[in-house]
Amino acid sequence: MDQYDVIVIGGGHAGAEAARAAAATGVRTLLLTQNLETIGQMSCNPAIGGIAKGTVVREVDALGGIMGRATDRAMIQFRMLNRSKGPAVWSPRAQCDRGLYRRAVRHLLEREARLSFAQGTAVELLLDAGAIVGARTREGHTFAARAIVVTAGTFLRGRIHLGLDSGVGAGRAGDPPSVELSQAIAKYGLTIERFKTGTPPRIDGRSVDLSRFPRQDGDPGGYRFSHHERSAPLPQLPCYLAWAEGAVKEVVAASLGESALYGGEISGRGPRYCPSIEDKIVKFRDAERHQLFLEPEGLETTELYVNGLSTSLPLTVQERMVHAVPGLESARITRPGYAIEYDYLPPTQLHHSLESRAIRRLYFAGQVNGTTGYEEAAGQGLMAGLNAARATRALEPIVLRRDQAMIGVLIDDLVTRGVDEPYRLFTSRAEYRLLLRQDNALRRLLPLAETTGLLGGEELIAAGARLRSEEAVLNLAGTVSIAPIAANPILEAAAGRGVAHPTRVRELARRSGVSLATLLQATGWSGPDESAEWADIELKYEGYLERERAAAGRLETLEDFHLDPQLPYTTFHTLSMEARQKLAANPPGTLGAAGRVPGISPADIQNLVIEVTKWRRNLEHCLAQG
Amino acid sequence: MIRLSGAGAFEIAARVIPTFRADPPRTAHYAAFRDASGALLDRGIYLVFPGPRSETGEDVVEFQCHGGLSVPARLVAAIEAAGARPAHPGEFTRRAVTNGKLDLLQAEALGDLIDAEAPAQAAAALTQLEGGLSRRIGELRAALIELLALLAYDVDFPEEDDGPVSRDRIEAARAAVAAGVERLLGTAPLAERVRRGALVVLAGPPNAGKSSLFNALLGRERALVTEVAGTTRDAIEAHVDFHGWPIRLVDTAGLGETSDRIEALGQEMSRRFADGADLVVVCDDGSAGGRLGDSAIGRLVVRTKADLGGEGEGLPVSALTGEGLPELKRAIVERLFQRGAGFADLEPALTRERHREALTGAREALARTAEQLGPGGESVLAAHHVQEAVRALDSLVGSVDVEEVLDRVFSSFCVGK
Repeated sequence: MDQYDVIVIGGGHAGAEAARAAAATGVRTLLLTQNLETIGQMSCNPAIGGIAKGTVVREVDALGGIMGRATDRAMIQFRMLNRSKGPAVWSPRAQCDRGLYRRAVRHLLEREARLSFAQGTAVELLLDAGAIVGARTREGHTFAARAIVVTAGTFLRGRIHLGLDSGVGAGRAGDPPSVELSQAIAKYGLTIERFKTGTPPRIDGRSVDLSRFPRQDGDPGGYRFSHHERSAPLPQLPCYLAWAEGAVKEVVAASLGESALYGGEISGRGPRYCPSIEDKIVKFRDAERHQLFLEPEGLETTELYVNGLSTSLPLTVQERMVHAVPGLESARITRPGYAIEYDYLPPTQLHHSLESRAIRRLYFAGQVNGTTGYEEAAGQGLMAGLNAARATRALEPIVLRRDQAMIGVLIDDLVTRGVDEPYRLFTSRAEYRLLLRQDNALRRLLPLAETTGLLGGEELIAAGARLRSEEAVLNLAGTVSIAPIAANPILEAAAGRGVAHPTRVRELARRSGVSLATLLQATGWSGPDESAEWADIELKYEGYLERERAAAGRLETLEDFHLDPQLPYTTFHTLSMEARQKLAANPPGTLGAAGRVPGISPADIQNLVIEVTKWRRNLEHCLAQG
Repeated sequence: MIRLSGAGAFEIAARVIPTFRADPPRTAHYAAFRDASGALLDRGIYLVFPGPRSETGEDVVEFQCHGGLSVPARLVAAIEAAGARPAHPGEFTRRAVTNGKLDLLQAEALGDLIDAEAPAQAAAALTQLEGGLSRRIGELRAALIELLALLAYDVDFPEEDDGPVSRDRIEAARAAVAAGVERLLGTAPLAERVRRGALVVLAGPPNAGKSSLFNALLGRERALVTEVAGTTRDAIEAHVDFHGWPIRLVDTAGLGETSDRIEALGQEMSRRFADGADLVVVCDDGSAGGRLGDSAIGRLVVRTKADLGGEGEGLPVSALTGEGLPELKRAIVERLFQRGAGFADLEPALTRERHREALTGAREALARTAEQLGPGGESVLAAHHVQEAVRALDSLVGSVDVEEVLDRVFSSFCVGK
């Protein structure tokens, strides 16, 4: 029997990061997947990053993960979203070549010496005394393991729908579902529920005249998600803008009864921010038109992904619908859109380490926890893989704080609040979003990457040097002055007042629209613009950042207040009834986590401190009495 | 009436009422109340309120027994012996708050209702207790969430069907909620005056008849009255209501030249009272007055000793004949409470310093929001300040959840590809 420390079941974005993180920390790791060819497959749209998600990719990369590097290697268009809205919310996003992305993931994984691969379908989890000891595959293979990370995506009892009476078991189009694993998990008392999501049709690019659509080109410049490697740029491709207008509405409205979503075939809840075209037309009846993006699938194919047209209508209706889009009259559908229903585990069943409360050393990460998005999956996968590996060495789990990483916000939301629709990150979910930016991910997480072993060798040294050079720029801004003759053209270009005397660069860089790099260059500094980005933002937001850090410091004291798992919440009568019930049902690990449970008021938290203090004193008293 | 509330209420009640039944609830039962030895204490009525449909939200039993000194005391002792303990001051209200039966503002209003002396105070407290202020704060919070949703849409959904939301629309939403905050803040002076009672100071030169007027307005002899100028040396305060409105009426030492050290101290006190007064009633029998401080509302001049004839400005009043007293009371009420008799139309209002501080914090945060919505400002920083405003209101009621903000986004905009 093959013996591993950690087995990762699933090779999607969560699985890939889990496997890499576990192996990087030095434990023997197996990536077990139904199909080795689809490791790193982008099942939905061919893009990585975006609002909040782009920051997660940067965090994953800071922790040595593979998503940032793979994105850079497959990037065929880059855009910085929110560029006009201030650097605190700049959000990098890339269109990727699906095939190149997959190959990059496989290549990056194979660099890990401690990582093995096996093709097979896990059907059974092996337990001993409530803890994981291995897994068995349908093919009859048994693997011994000291921890398992399940990253099954949408595969658990996955069922895809196009129209009515067409439900087919599948994890995604073309791949069989995983039914037995779901049953194996449920057998051990974990609760399983259903979610749904959808995907739009793809079309043959040769069947449309792209000159009829407005082009959307990427940003110039060489942005890279990865802090550690600078891959060669690929040829860049545009996206095209199209609109679903009245004719599409008519087709959809006339066929709603045939939609799996509206015909009653699907019961699970879907994400509101990723609605099907049926949803958009029913819920926003008055909208004149809905924007569509024709996104390239890759460099070596003309196939286009029709983003915005997610649907569960039958193929014949999809054809009429696509042809009703101005400019797509003769488009040929290469793959129809579909809705998929799947099992997920309500994530309140997990600890902050992503270990299940019910079974020791069984971890869950990614869409199986009720999230959406490649990036959300990657962030969870990395933390689950890391913590699984640490558990096999009896090391404490690593939990990212809400003021430390978007991944910390994500996981804390999942395990303390749970989900009632597929969960997606937004910057609005973070209390301290000015602290959690894409430009400072490395600074926030490098110490952790080092102590956990997620990053090492030359990359670790280079990353440290990079942070020090950013700090040097900040120091320089505080010491060097700029003469009016050099400063005033820059200030006036930003519609600001000039200065009469030499002034510290630091003072002028605080002004909105005035670039620190430009000011420094005017004083003779010759560093690259990007090495001044962090210092620039620190100066411009100084007051806000200080306030958020102070508030986060107060939060930390709540996070440091640990709550004993055996606290008798139901007897804490100074807490509201709702608080007692919710805390008893899912005992939180810290006071901070308790405060984030919906329905728990600030007064409850105050009273909880008093109750816990009393309870501990009584307990000590009892122990002292023997 | 004796109230028993908490998890073991029914068990404890059953030890005192051998025939105790929790069913049917909220119904009067007639029964014998007995102590642990079975001795009869009284026969009376009890009512059962299973939680959460009770005043405290917990299981509650109410005992109605005969009055007097002995019976209630013995019944309470028996209930205590059966396992209950006496409630701390305000504990029932506190439990009602923790169990979500009352919010913090309503709990404060309950305290005000219990402390009310004048009918207007009771009416104001009842308006608050009915949730009037909580509702107003709730409306402001809803408007802030709407504003946060617009900003969240701006930051988190940059590429949607509906296109960007205009700065004008966001600023209009901000201005509307800021105006609401301002309106509510405007209620504070009057409301605090109703809750505390308005401070009305009688002032004027020595021997102007202030103490006579004081006694006449009070309807009883409270202040010493003589013909000797400077008889009143200390300030005397009495609580009274005019047409139901609460007044703290203060008689002060007359202001004028004096060589008496104690009288001089009294005059100093008069000035200080006049400075802090909501209204100074200047009593003048025609002779020249001394200097009086300005007060929040101002002054009302009365010509005292109207029965002696005399000339001069001010409302003529006579403590002796009662002439002008009803008119004076009405004038005081109108000046202080901006209305005559009747307080059925009292609006929910900020009755406490704490409320005013919270709303002032929200006002300042919204002003900073406006700066960030202007040229060179950033939505994310505007949202930062709206959050501050939300937290300021949070201190009055509960807290706003991010899901509420996202719910507003999803119901207002068609988002997602």
